[in-house]
Amino acid sequence: MKKWLIILLTLIILATLQLSWPVCLSFFHAKPDLLLIFVVSLVFYFNFKIALLFAVLAGLFKDAFLPSASAINTLAFSAWSYLTFRLSSQISTENSYVRLVIILIISLLNNTALGIQSLNSGNYIPAGIFLRNLLITSVYTVALSPFIFKLTKRIAA
Amino acid sequence: MFKLSRRTITNSILIVCAVFLVSIFSPSFKNSTQKTLKPQLSLIDLLKRECAGIIFYHRNMVEFDRLNGDVESLRRNLFDLREIEQENSRLKSLLGFKQKSPLHLVSSRVIARSPDSWSSSVIIDKGKYSGIRRGMAVINTRGLVGRVVEVADNNSKILLVNDPSQGISSIVQRSRQEGLVSGSLGSNLIMRYLPDDAQIAVGDIIITSELSQVYPKGLLVGRVINIGKEFSGLSRYAVIKPAVELSNIEEVLVIIP
Repeated sequence: MKKWLIILLTLIILATLQLSWPVCLSFFHAKPDLLLIFVVSLVFYFNFKIALLFAVLAGLFKDAFLPSASAINTLAFSAWSYLTFRLSSQISTENSYVRLVIILIISLLNNTALGIQSLNSGNYIPAGIFLRNLLITSVYTVALSPFIFKLTKRIAA
Repeated sequence: MFKLSRRTITNSILIVCAVFLVSIFSPSFKNSTQKTLKPQLSLIDLLKRECAGIIFYHRNMVEFDRLNGDVESLRRNLFDLREIEQENSRLKSLLGFKQKSPLHLVSSRVIARSPDSWSSSVIIDKGKYSGIRRGMAVINTRGLVGRVVEVADNNSKILLVNDPSQGISSIVQRSRQEGLVSGSLGSNLIMRYLPDDAQIAVGDIIITSELSQVYPKGLLVGRVINIGKEFSGLSRYAVIKPAVELSNIEEVLVIIP
């Protein structure tokens, strides 16, 4: 119960941090997806049920603060949590480099899904900005993931 | 009894003259002496200070630490004061704008930004209780910021003008040429659907048109910085630099119709 509360508190802190991410730390208007890292790291350090529950919660948090009324992040976070769980049962995810690669792939997929959804709803996004959001955001997310992995590991310990 | 000898009188006059001459020439004398002696005096002073520094090393170290602490504390105070000064000038300009503007405005602060890079929105600290409703236009002292898309009791979500789902019916102030301004998630906006012979040039000012149902007519959107041809070749587009620095907005004004 105590761990659940700590995870929830961490989720709230990360969501707050993501919402108030300083402009000076945004590279080319791209900011890291801290909630996505946390969702994936929960799969590595906790059992799947807890990870999935908090993935849904993190998705809801993110969707609640987006201007469009869609639940794409709730769906995407649940899917990434499930896929990471399936993948971690197939390959060893003990190595930190493997975890970074998983985060990179998931971040690229997540940004592609969000970008396609935005284009699909009739929005015009220039190719350069699409690629910027896709690549820089994903790389930035990967760059910050070791810190959140450490945090999650400490919570799980 | 008071009879003075000639010698005494001469001596007295000589003394008075000497004093007079010294008083006249003493500043130049002083200056030249100081100039001549300056290097030696400086050297001695330096040696004295160094010796005192070695002798009173511990006392100086403690004093240095204390002063360093004071400097840090003063620097922090200065930083806080600068922040307050900036906030003060921003609020003053907001208040001035509010008093000048014929529109009914509600000023509020930005408390959060969009959680991802695929949309451009902010959350402000005023909502239904302050009279804000969905669809209201949002500006600041420099120009158009966006529109309200969601309202809660005490906060509202604002879709910024550089969000790709924005479409603002606008005109070129000089030629009254119409076009649709939309965001592109970048720092600039795009004015599209401009005919090939559109009266638009770099440097033109873009304002909201009366065709817009959300935004009042005449709000400053930005300035044209580039003009290009659409990929299809059928129409042209203009790149617009928004009047408002969207990544740094801290205070906004909601227009209550």
